Amino acid sequence: MNQNRWFAWAAITLTILFMAAFVTATEPVVAAREAAAPLQQKAAAPQAPAPQPAPQAGYVGESTCLTCHDQSYKGTKHALAFNERTPAATHGCESCHGPGQKHAASGDPELIKRFSKLSPAEASATCTSCHNRASHALWDGSQHDQRNISCVTCHSVHGSKGPSQLKAGTVVQQCATCHRSITNKVYRYNHMPVREGAMTCASCHNVHGSTNVKLLRAGTTVDESCTSCHADKRGPYLWEHAPVSESCVTCHDPHGSNNDRMLVSKQPFLCQRCHVTSRHPPTVYDGFQLNNSQNANKIFGRGCTNCHQMVHGSNAPSGKTLLR
Amino acid sequence: MRNAYLTLTAALLLIPRLTTAQAAQPAPAVAAGTGTADVGGMFTTTDGDEARYERYRDTRDGAYTNITWGRETGSYLFDASASHIGYRDQRYNVDYSRRRFDFGFHWTSLPLNYSYLTRTAFVTNGTTLTLPDSTQAAVQGPGNSTTDGTAVGVPCAPGAPPAACTSTNAAQIAQAKANRSIYDSLANPFDLRHQRDTALFDVRYAATSTVDLDARFLSSGRDGQQPWNASFAFNTAVELPQPLDQRTNDVSVGASWTNPKGMFRVGWDGSWFTNHNQILTWDNPIRSTDFTNGSTVFNCPASGPSGPWDCSGYSNGNGPARGREALAPSNMMNVVSAVAMYKLAARTTLNGTLQFTNQRQDEDLIPWTINSVIDQPATFTNFPHLSALPRSTAEAEAQGINALINFTTRPSRRTSVNVRYRYNKRDVQTPIFDATEYVRFDAVPEEVEEGFSPQFDNSRDFFDANLSFSTNGWGTLRAGYGREDITRHGRGFADVGENIFRLSYDAYSNQYVTVRGNVDLGWRRGSGFVETGIDYEEGPGGTQPTLRYYDEADRDRTRGSIVITAMPSDRVDVFFQFAGTRDKYLVDESAPVDRPGEHFGLQRQTTTSYNVGFNFHPTDVVSLGANYGRDSFGSFQRSRNANPAPDPTWTDPSRDWTLDNDDHVNNVGLYVDMTRPVRNTDIRFGYDYSDSNNSFVHGGPRVTSLTDIGQFIPLPNVENSWHRLTADVTYFLNTRVGVGVGYYFETLDVSDFNTIDTDGPVGFAPATGDPRLDWLGGLTLGYGNRPYTGHTANVRVVYRF
Repeated sequence: MNQNRWFAWAAITLTILFMAAFVTATEPVVAAREAAAPLQQKAAAPQAPAPQPAPQAGYVGESTCLTCHDQSYKGTKHALAFNERTPAATHGCESCHGPGQKHAASGDPELIKRFSKLSPAEASATCTSCHNRASHALWDGSQHDQRNISCVTCHSVHGSKGPSQLKAGTVVQQCATCHRSITNKVYRYNHMPVREGAMTCASCHNVHGSTNVKLLRAGTTVDESCTSCHADKRGPYLWEHAPVSESCVTCHDPHGSNNDRMLVSKQPFLCQRCHVTSRHPPTVYDGFQLNNSQNANKIFGRGCTNCHQMVHGSNAPSGKTLLR
Repeated sequence: MRNAYLTLTAALLLIPRLTTAQAAQPAPAVAAGTGTADVGGMFTTTDGDEARYERYRDTRDGAYTNITWGRETGSYLFDASASHIGYRDQRYNVDYSRRRFDFGFHWTSLPLNYSYLTRTAFVTNGTTLTLPDSTQAAVQGPGNSTTDGTAVGVPCAPGAPPAACTSTNAAQIAQAKANRSIYDSLANPFDLRHQRDTALFDVRYAATSTVDLDARFLSSGRDGQQPWNASFAFNTAVELPQPLDQRTNDVSVGASWTNPKGMFRVGWDGSWFTNHNQILTWDNPIRSTDFTNGSTVFNCPASGPSGPWDCSGYSNGNGPARGREALAPSNMMNVVSAVAMYKLAARTTLNGTLQFTNQRQDEDLIPWTINSVIDQPATFTNFPHLSALPRSTAEAEAQGINALINFTTRPSRRTSVNVRYRYNKRDVQTPIFDATEYVRFDAVPEEVEEGFSPQFDNSRDFFDANLSFSTNGWGTLRAGYGREDITRHGRGFADVGENIFRLSYDAYSNQYVTVRGNVDLGWRRGSGFVETGIDYEEGPGGTQPTLRYYDEADRDRTRGSIVITAMPSDRVDVFFQFAGTRDKYLVDESAPVDRPGEHFGLQRQTTTSYNVGFNFHPTDVVSLGANYGRDSFGSFQRSRNANPAPDPTWTDPSRDWTLDNDDHVNNVGLYVDMTRPVRNTDIRFGYDYSDSNNSFVHGGPRVTSLTDIGQFIPLPNVENSWHRLTADVTYFLNTRVGVGVGYYFETLDVSDFNTIDTDGPVGFAPATGDPRLDWLGGLTLGYGNRPYTGHTANVRVVYRF
């Protein structure tokens, strides 16, 4: 078993034991959870609602709401009453829908905040009254906010199907409701491990707003985002390759491609877009060269990088042409 | 091993249950957590390229495991899951929340399986890859002559008659292809793959109701092998299995203060990449000794004897016995950042960020060359710069400043204004490295004027303003303007600016239909083009003077998209999506009239994507849907096949050629999900399809002239078609126990001319699925794009507890 495997075992074992120590804390159990399932929303356990503080003026308390409406937000993180920031720990249903006294007295749906009737900005303002930290801090003015996408366009507190209370079953399905031209690329035979479930759109993008371009999650440039995982390409190198320093997407399509290495075109033709010099770079690499010449090694396999392997940059003193 | 993982992890997950049961509780009885154990067996059969079928998965026969467990009390929430325990794609997740404390642990193992059909004669010893000395000697021959080798190392290399592989004699060409490399018979099979294991720990602590502290640690290790190239000359391209042993450790800490009016966070992010394999050394398949002709000239004069190295050694293979490369350097990056958001009056928000970034690496530099014939004092008489390195370490560093400020105001329910400014600066601090004398391919020392390492600094200013107006139930119209200015150092254009106008329309209030559309128009222009040469004979780097790099060239861009979703009822929606981009790269109007009018490089590029489909939920337990998409990609580029100036071909337009690349893709997706349509039974089906027809069509006068002399053959299209079918049926015997059967089918049919099978390039010769390692000018591993068909089935028991 190699060093990495030992590290993995140690990490897993220590973590599980650490958590075991926590969960053996002698706290009375209030309720048992339903069997875990991929769904975020769990069926409500037969339990009494968490005790609410005495309603403030205008509020009627969650138990009043439940006399007419089902408590379908139970089983979600909004229902974790031990977290003082959640609706369950504050005003329950009225944390989001506003004071319900008038609505409860008359039954008039116009007298309560209904998210289906709010403008996108108003709906989002409700959610971001709490969700204004960390990855949600830059929602206002973000690209999705500017297009009148609201929180409830993608998320559902009461009827979610996927992770993070998404309306769709997966992150990719959710994004595909608008960006199907992008999500279809995960099925191209050179792709990131999205369709294998190891990544999602949210692995690279923060759809809630970001300091980076294209709502990329990490860093402040495309390169910083890509090299947050592909740190071997980060450099900086002794000899840099100009398009690499600019942006990875000059040459690569990160969403998926029918060209090797997720390139936007096939080698050597991609390289020949810029390397219009003399001698071998602008040679016509065709079927004749491939079948009749030692220049075949510029076409088959890895094309130009059969020799210019250090295409992302070289740290060798003689690496000027990225050969070493 | 997988069973050991399974047993131990299941036991560990059960510890809390056991310890809880043993703990004395004065309060009411503690209820156990709940979860699901989905365990059974998995079985796979594959035809063809098994590694490509697996790719990022591990489908070996064995145990199927998917275990979840969770517990919620009045004071904490605990969730854990484990899937595919013991496999190369295993995953573990633990999430724990208390009143003020959130903790998460996530483990992801991700294999990348390149090929199980690969073979190599190289023997790996650490980071040194060797070939049998006797075989190298047999290829090189007894007298260091170019033609007296007794074995073929690389077809068309010295020792493989005929020596010249650019012959137009069909018989000689056929002979060259028939001469198999001696290394083919010595190559041993191996699985070419690597593994990335990532552990992520994250903690958030709510110190007060307004102050949060967060910390994150990520450690990712990558080991195994990847296909790598390490060549010696134009006629000796070598592919070998590069050993990987890398680790990236990232640490992030931050503190944020938040109240209903705003938030402020400061943070530090550190990242350390360590490559334990810094240097790669490998043997030359066509030489056992460094080439020398015995000359004492130690130079390559314009006439007369030269040497002792072969001045054309970089093209004919008369070079070193070994090569040495500097692999990806260990590096580090630090970012200090601040993010703030503040809500002003009248529905106005201001947010922004300021970040300072530092990247550096200071690895030891390898010598100029490993070639002993070059690396000797006699060489330094003519190449004094090669006697020592200008410095012993890289001293590479780049600093960055990044800022963003975003202002949004909604003065009324109908209007909103957004203004944004972004600034990015990358300042390369690496001292310029003088390689005006260097060694090419470890074969030939050379002097070059442009031998100083470039510093590709850049800074970007981006200003963007948008005004939206919402009608009463008829949607929102938005108009915007953006201006991006980029200042570059070391590129063709010193400055590039782009004006962008955009218009969008979003109708989202109608319960039956939503429409979202936008169009962007961009005009990018450069200035301060860098010229070299007195008469503008050449551009930077010896390029054609009217070449423009397409990432900075003058360009007109049109981009648009539309999404229409119709919902005639709450059980069905029908959608149509279109997205398209057209980039047109312009002739440089600032070119002097005495320069050729041609414009080289990428000329235009278009992408279009159409998608139609529907989702239907006829009942609460059945949902189904389908989608068809058609994507098209096209690009057109121009070049010139010429010798360097002042050769007349340099300015001869009859040497121009073009390449027209078009790729057409069809995508189909179907799904059916049924939750208990039949008593106690869940059923899921899914089907996905994607294909591609990718053409590369050469044209232009140079191609016409090559065709006239019988030296041009069009390339076949690169085609692929991919199908995937998934099915899963789970039947619950009671509320706790069920049985499940799953089936996964995937097939890829692919024809790609860059893949060399036993009869030659696929598309020119029938695909056999068996790699050929030795094709003209190259010795490879046999890695390529080959078809496969795979079936994976699982049978399992589902237990809910």
